[in-house]
Amino acid sequence: MRAVRTVAVNVFRESVRDRVPYNLVLFAVLLISSSYLLGQLTAGQDVKIIKDLGLAATAVFGLFISIFIGIGLVSKEVERRSIYALLTKPVSRAQFIAGKYAGLVLTLAVNVGVMTIALYAVLAYMVWTEPPTIRAGWDAPGIDPALLKAIFLIFIELMLVTALAIFFSTFSSPILSAALTFGFVIAGHFNADLKNFDKVVSSRAAAMLARGVYHVLPDLSAFDVKTEVVHGLPVTAGYLASTAAYGLAYVAGLLLIATFVFSRRDFK
Amino acid sequence: MTPAIRIEELTKDYAIGFWRRRPYRALDRLTLDINPGEVFGFLGPNGAGKTTTLKLLMQLIYPTSGRAEILGRPVGDVAVRQRIGYLPENPSFYDYLTAEELLNYFGELFGLDAVARRKRVTTLLDRVGIGAERKLQLRKFSKGMIQRIGIAQALLNDPEVIFLDEPMSGLDPLGRRDVRTLILELRDQGRTIFFSSHILADAEALCRRVAVVAGGRLAAAGRLVDILAFEIHGWELVMSHVNPEMFARGGAPGDGNLAGTLRVRALARPGARSRALRPDGRGSETGVAESDARHARGFLHAPRRGNGEGRACAAR
Amino acid sequence: MKRSTRDLVLLGGAAVAFAAAIALQLIRDRRFPRDTHQVEQILYVRSGSALQRMTLSFDALAADVYWIRAIQHYGGDRLSGPQAQTKYQLLYPLLDLTTTLDPYFNIAYRFGAIFLSEAYPGGPGRPDESVALLKKAMVAMPQKWQYPHDIGFVYYWRFRDYNSAALWFQRAAEKPNAPLWLKPLAASMLARGEDRAAARFLWQQIAQSEEPWLRRTAERSILQLQAMDQIDQLNAVVKRFPPAAGELYSWPDLLRRHVLRLLPYDPTGTPYEIDPSSGQVRVAAQSPLFPMPQEPRRLQ
Repeated sequence: MRAVRTVAVNVFRESVRDRVPYNLVLFAVLLISSSYLLGQLTAGQDVKIIKDLGLAATAVFGLFISIFIGIGLVSKEVERRSIYALLTKPVSRAQFIAGKYAGLVLTLAVNVGVMTIALYAVLAYMVWTEPPTIRAGWDAPGIDPALLKAIFLIFIELMLVTALAIFFSTFSSPILSAALTFGFVIAGHFNADLKNFDKVVSSRAAAMLARGVYHVLPDLSAFDVKTEVVHGLPVTAGYLASTAAYGLAYVAGLLLIATFVFSRRDFK
Repeated sequence: MTPAIRIEELTKDYAIGFWRRRPYRALDRLTLDINPGEVFGFLGPNGAGKTTTLKLLMQLIYPTSGRAEILGRPVGDVAVRQRIGYLPENPSFYDYLTAEELLNYFGELFGLDAVARRKRVTTLLDRVGIGAERKLQLRKFSKGMIQRIGIAQALLNDPEVIFLDEPMSGLDPLGRRDVRTLILELRDQGRTIFFSSHILADAEALCRRVAVVAGGRLAAAGRLVDILAFEIHGWELVMSHVNPEMFARGGAPGDGNLAGTLRVRALARPGARSRALRPDGRGSETGVAESDARHARGFLHAPRRGNGEGRACAAR
Repeated sequence: MKRSTRDLVLLGGAAVAFAAAIALQLIRDRRFPRDTHQVEQILYVRSGSALQRMTLSFDALAADVYWIRAIQHYGGDRLSGPQAQTKYQLLYPLLDLTTTLDPYFNIAYRFGAIFLSEAYPGGPGRPDESVALLKKAMVAMPQKWQYPHDIGFVYYWRFRDYNSAALWFQRAAEKPNAPLWLKPLAASMLARGEDRAAARFLWQQIAQSEEPWLRRTAERSILQLQAMDQIDQLNAVVKRFPPAAGELYSWPDLLRRHVLRLLPYDPTGTPYEIDPSSGQVRVAAQSPLFPMPQEPRRLQ
């Protein structure tokens, strides 16, 4: 466990030194701030727009961090050959994968955390400046704790995407890993459409195939509760728990296979 | 006495080609024992399989067949890595870390607590000669400095067995002397050192026992002095750039300067004992000593060549 | 741990993890079905042109996705029972988006033509949206005769506007490759207005379509027309032999009096119902033909 923690902290340090997450966070913060200006143009709808934009920006930037750092976690070490010195220390290949993953999750947590704080700060300002009559017309309160539900699921989704990126990077080049991860993410968002295929297609074989693909592909559309939360529609704790558990189980599966592939590799 | 490193029939095949995959044998049934406390040289030309062997010992790659043990435990045992150190060939680490941070990172993996770590890091950095650059990012290090920090990280955990892959590469002569001194120091402390090199001179200075690999096969193994012993069985005098007038005159003595180049060659074969160590038992001629003697004077007979024979004649 | 053991543990563990994931997915879908109704009503992007820009050059693919969603929306709402107030609300926007992204998406236009105009509970009952969609089709593909024909059909069958229907059939007849029966159809529409034979003819044309769901709808409508004929005959017979004073109309009564030999049933095999007081024969509520289309009024 100590080995996992050490590797994880180093991943975090590398992400900080690479300055990439800082730029993204800065950009997201700027975006949220500028959405405030946009909101001034649409009377009464500004809070909804800011919530939408803030959640979407968090999801998108988090996605970029997950994919672009995730694919490099393993491949960069191998490419610059620092892996020779690292794997000959008392750290097993499984601990290496786990540590790299944990490090990126830590990075994501920090980034998502910063973006969440920025979003709530902007919302707090809006609530403070908006007169009570307009506030009464909102679907959901301005500083809505329900936003955290959406952010929670976004975070679990990012954990899943990171696991996908690491999984692909254990056996393919960075570019191919990025393409595959991206492809799976897009497919995963359309997953819900696959579930209802049997209502559309007459061939039973096609419907079964679609159902199978629905279960195999990561069901990322389930993590998207942004619309509900912004409109004040209920999201139950049971839904959150079961979806999060699904995500974590999928992550476990991916990491185990990644460890399997990585453990068999020759580092010429 | 349990060998510090035991290698048995270690073989590594790589599959080459896309369709009909032919195996390329990078290492063929290597068998070696290295005793504790010795400095063992692993020699051979480039591409002979030296780095392959080291990577197999570090379990960076997996053997096709055969086995190896370090300190009595099978290779790949994570616990035994606490007691060994490894310097890869042409090492490269993390650009964005400083020298201190790198050693701290590895030190943490070894389980050293913060206080012990700090002391050890400082000591090691000074010992390898980059104490002044401890807070410099590795991206600013020269090749020689990287080599030094590589050695430092190999010694971080006070290892019993140290594996060095081309430890002298990238170092200037002063640096090489430093490393040689360091290795002898480590030997005097009772550690086992296994290092690979393609430079014979390094082995001569440090090792008593060596193994020589070529083309993936063990060509010779044993005491260095045995492998390098030669029998001299003849001398040869070679003359060149001689004025042809001299022959026309029939070789009258004392006639003056005869410009020319004279060479003396000792004809030698590997010593009988080391020949026995070679599995194929082939002998070959090796010229060992040559010296130039210019502007020789005096009488000369035309040399008669023959295999292993030569005529010596007086010359000054 | 030996290598093979470790490999087995890892792969086995992965299999267990994925199985758990799928199990959780199934459990979650069953206990917390995603309320597609409510969420879908909040269709984010309604503007076709905005969507076109967003999908970059993947318009056709996005059109396909929206098409699938349109069908699922229709199918889902149709199967979900009559309780929802806002059924089929998104059908027109989805079809509109589909056809904005891919203006040549023929099947989307024709689907909209039939199902947007279909009366509740079979559809949203919005023939005006049908016509709007079909007019958009005519802009994209002005040479096809099917679109003005479909508009004419909507005017005939849903709006009962025979003059407009005739005009549209005429326009369809002028398109290249138009079938020869369009002109006489336009003419007879102007002359006779309502005509079950014309309706039957129109539906029979549609029944030859390649699309299975178009065929099914047409066949059902043809059976409905058949049922209408049968109901007319039954009504005539029942009227001629009313029950005794003070008694109600009923099938056992009619059978007893030998007015009918057998219990009458509609073309799907479901028995007809008879209204006890007025004696009107009608299709039973549980019949697949229910609800029957309104009988077109005779042209005055």
